[in-house]
Amino acid sequence: MLVSCDGIFGGLYDEPAKNSFGFIQRDDDGHGGTIRLDATSYTRWSYIDLHHQHIDTANITLGQDAPFEWDFAIHHYDVKTHDGTATESPFDNVGMAIELEELNFVADVDSQVVIDMSTMMEGYLGYTPSPVNPVLSHWLDVDLSTMPPIYVLSNKVYLLRLGDGTLVALQFTSFMDESFAKGIVTLHYRIINTPK
Amino acid sequence: MKRVLTLLLAFLSTFSVWGQNTPPDSTQTNPRLLNMVVVTATRTPKLLTDAPVVTRVITEQDIRNADVPTLQELLQTELPGIEFTYSMNQQVSLNMQGFGGSSVLFLVDGERLAGETLDNIDYSRLNLDAVQRVEIIKGAASSLYGSNAVGGVVNIVTRTSDKPWSLRLGSRTSSLKDRQHYGSFGIKRQRWNSLTDLHYTDAAAVHLSDTGDLRTIFANSSFNASEKLHVKISDKISVTGRAGYFFRQREKSEEANDRYRDFSAGLKGNLEFGQSSDLLISYAFDQYDKSDYSIASHLDVRNYSNVQHTLRTLYNHSVKSSSDTTVFLGTLTLGGDFMRDYLMSYQFTDGNHIQYTADAFAQWDWLPTSRLNIVAVLRYDFYSEASRSHLSPKVNLMYKLPRVNLRVGYANGFRAPTLKEMFMNFDMANIFTIYGNPDLQPEVSDNFNASFEWIHNQYNLTCMAFHNHVKNRITTFWRQEKNGMLYSNMSPVSISGLDLSLAIHWNNGLGLRLSYIFTHERTEADGMRSSSTRPHTATLHIDYSRNWRLGRTTLALNGRVLSAVTCDEYTSYSDLSQFEEITYPGYTMWRLSLRHTFSRGVCLTATIDNLFNYRPDYYYNNSPATVGRTVALGLSFDVDKCFSN
Repeated sequence: MLVSCDGIFGGLYDEPAKNSFGFIQRDDDGHGGTIRLDATSYTRWSYIDLHHQHIDTANITLGQDAPFEWDFAIHHYDVKTHDGTATESPFDNVGMAIELEELNFVADVDSQVVIDMSTMMEGYLGYTPSPVNPVLSHWLDVDLSTMPPIYVLSNKVYLLRLGDGTLVALQFTSFMDESFAKGIVTLHYRIINTPK
Repeated sequence: MKRVLTLLLAFLSTFSVWGQNTPPDSTQTNPRLLNMVVVTATRTPKLLTDAPVVTRVITEQDIRNADVPTLQELLQTELPGIEFTYSMNQQVSLNMQGFGGSSVLFLVDGERLAGETLDNIDYSRLNLDAVQRVEIIKGAASSLYGSNAVGGVVNIVTRTSDKPWSLRLGSRTSSLKDRQHYGSFGIKRQRWNSLTDLHYTDAAAVHLSDTGDLRTIFANSSFNASEKLHVKISDKISVTGRAGYFFRQREKSEEANDRYRDFSAGLKGNLEFGQSSDLLISYAFDQYDKSDYSIASHLDVRNYSNVQHTLRTLYNHSVKSSSDTTVFLGTLTLGGDFMRDYLMSYQFTDGNHIQYTADAFAQWDWLPTSRLNIVAVLRYDFYSEASRSHLSPKVNLMYKLPRVNLRVGYANGFRAPTLKEMFMNFDMANIFTIYGNPDLQPEVSDNFNASFEWIHNQYNLTCMAFHNHVKNRITTFWRQEKNGMLYSNMSPVSISGLDLSLAIHWNNGLGLRLSYIFTHERTEADGMRSSSTRPHTATLHIDYSRNWRLGRTTLALNGRVLSAVTCDEYTSYSDLSQFEEITYPGYTMWRLSLRHTFSRGVCLTATIDNLFNYRPDYYYNNSPATVGRTVALGLSFDVDKCFSN
C-alpha cells in the first residue's frame, strides 16, 4: 500500500528471504553444492555427512552423542572433523580446487568451545572440552574487543581430508542470513576425489 | 601553538591600521544582529534583544564563514559546551552541557524529527545549505515544546526565497576525500515563492587507528532534497507547503550497508484576524526508516520505521491598552498539538506500537512597564501508551536598563518514556537481553537561570548562571534476576554552571567572539563520578573582512578548547560495585578559512582544519575523529548575481 497511517513507500523495501537449511543446492555432477545450517545455538553441534548429504544435530548440554556417520561438524563458528585433517589452499573457489601434494594437513586438537554466553557480563563464559580443527575454525575472525563485534570472513578455500581418505574443498561464504541474523552459516563444498 | 596564535592575532590587528569602512562579515559580532527577529523563545516573533530567554543565533552568514560540512560541526564550532561523539556501533551521540541527545529537542521550522538511534536523531538529515539561521535555547522549554526539551532546544529555520529568482550551485571537497555538491533554486512572485534544495555528500572511509575504541570511520553517502512553497492567498491568509526526501547509506561491512531514509511533508496555514490576532494550523508528516542492504543478495530489508503525524494549532492575540491603543500590554498565546507516533522496530518482539500524545498550553507575555517583561507559560501533556501526563510551568522575567538586559527564569522540563524504552525486548547476540519497562516515570527537570547582558556600541557581553535538577533520568541498568539490562529511572542529577560570551565588532571589519562555559554535573546517589561532561569548554572566533575591487575577502579563525574530564566507569555490567577511574584528555581544534566572493557571485573557499595537527594518543569514542591537519576547497556560484545590477 502506497499510503497509510503507518507509513508510505513500503514497496521500496524487500521482504527478508526465508531461510532454507540443509543441502540447499547441488552441483549438476553431484560432487558438490551449498550447505546452510542454523548454528545460532551455543549448545549444539551440527554434524554434516557429505556422503549421504545429511545433517544431524546433537545438544551438548543434554549429553547427546554424535551420529554414527558424519564428516565434519559446526558449533557456532567452531569446526571439528571426524578423524580428518584440513589445510588452507591457495584456490579462489571450490570449483578450482585440486589435490596438492605439498600442503600440510592438520588434525583436530583438544580444545574447548563456549556453551554459555549468558555470563559474559559477569566476566566469564561457560566452556566445555571439545576437539576443534584449528585450520577450519579460522574461516571467520570475530573481534570482540569492540561493540558490536567485527566479523571478518577469511574467504579461503580449505581442503579437508576425511577419515576415509576422501578429499573435499570447503569455502565458508557467510556467517549470517539475509536478515543479518548472526550464526546462520553458509558454505560451498566440492568432493575432489574419493579413495580408490 | 600559542606563538602561532599570537602571531595570527597580531596579523589580524594590523588590519585596524589599514582600516577601511568595511561592514562586518560576522553577524554575531554585529549589533545589527540584535534587531533580528527570533521565534523559539516564545513561539512568537520577537526581537532578539526582547527575547525573555537568552537565545543564541547562528546566521546564514556565520554558517558560510564557518565553512563546515555538517550541523554537528557547526554547533561545535559556534558554541562551547556542545560535543558530538561516537557511541556503540559508531552512532553519533550528543552531549550539550550534560544533556544527551534525547534531552535536547531538535526542531526544523518548529517541527519535530522522527526516528532515533541510541537516543539521537539522525543529525545528517539537516542540510546546512537550506538553513537560514539556527536558534538555540539552553535550559528546559517543555512548557512550549513538550517532551525532550529538558536541556535545550535547537530550532533550525530554513531559508525562504527572497529574490525574483535565484540559483546557487556549489561544491566542496577535502583531503579526506569527502565531497559535497549542492544546488538551490528559488522564485519569488507577488503572491507566492518557492525554494528547492538538493544536496549530495560522499565521504570515504577514514582509518584512525588499529587499537583504539574508534578505528575506522565508515564510508558514508547521502542525498537530501526539499521543496518549500509559500502562497499568499489574501492579505490575511497564507499557506505554506513543504516536502522532503533524505537517503543515507553507511558502508558498515563487506556484507552489508546500513540505509536510512526519511520522507517528510507538511502544510501550514496562517490566518490573521484584524490587527491583533492570528491563527496557525498545521499538519506535519515525518517517516524515518532504517534498512539493511545485503550486497550479496541485493535485498533491502527494512527493520525500523518511525512515522509521526502531527496536528498543531497556535493562536496569538495582542492586547493593547483600552485608554491608549498605541500602548502594547502583551500577547496571549494558546496552542495545542496532537501526534500519532508509530514505531516498528527490530528491537520489539511483540509487534509494532503506537502512541498518541496530546497537549494544550497557554502563554501570557506581559509588558507591565516599558522596562519589564514577564512571560508565564503552563502546559499539559498526555501520553497514551505510557499513561502519563505532565504539567510544565515556566516563568521568565526580563528587566531592561540602558545598555543592560537582566533576565531571570524558572522552567520545567520533561521527557516522556519512549515506545522503545517501554517495549524493547532485544537479544544482544545471545549475551544478554535489553528489556523495556512500561512502568518508567517521565524524566523531569527544574531549570533556574539568571543572566546579565550588556550591549554598548560594538560590545556585547552576556553572563548566564544556570542550575538544573534532573529527576528520573532514563537509562539501562543491569538486573541480575532478568540476566539482562532493564530501562530504569536513575537517581537525581544536578547540572550547574556559568555561560560567558563576549562579542566585539570593530568598524574596520574585524570581529571577535569568545565564549566559555563551565559545567558541573553531579549524580546524587553514590558519589560516583558518572559524568563524562567536560567541565571547561570555550570557543574563539576571529574574522576579518575587506572589500576589494574584485570582491570581498574574509579570513576567519575558529577555535575550540575542551578540558580533560575524569570520571568513573563500570568495569562490570552486572556488578555495579566495580568501576575504575578514567581520564579523557583535553584538546583544542582550530580551523582557518579564507573566503573570497567575487562581485558576480562566484565564491571560493579554502579551509585548513585541525590547524595545529592534533592527533589523540588513543582514540576514545569521545576523541575527535581526526587524522590530523586537512585541507578543504569550496566553490559556489550564485548564478542570479551574474544577471543582477
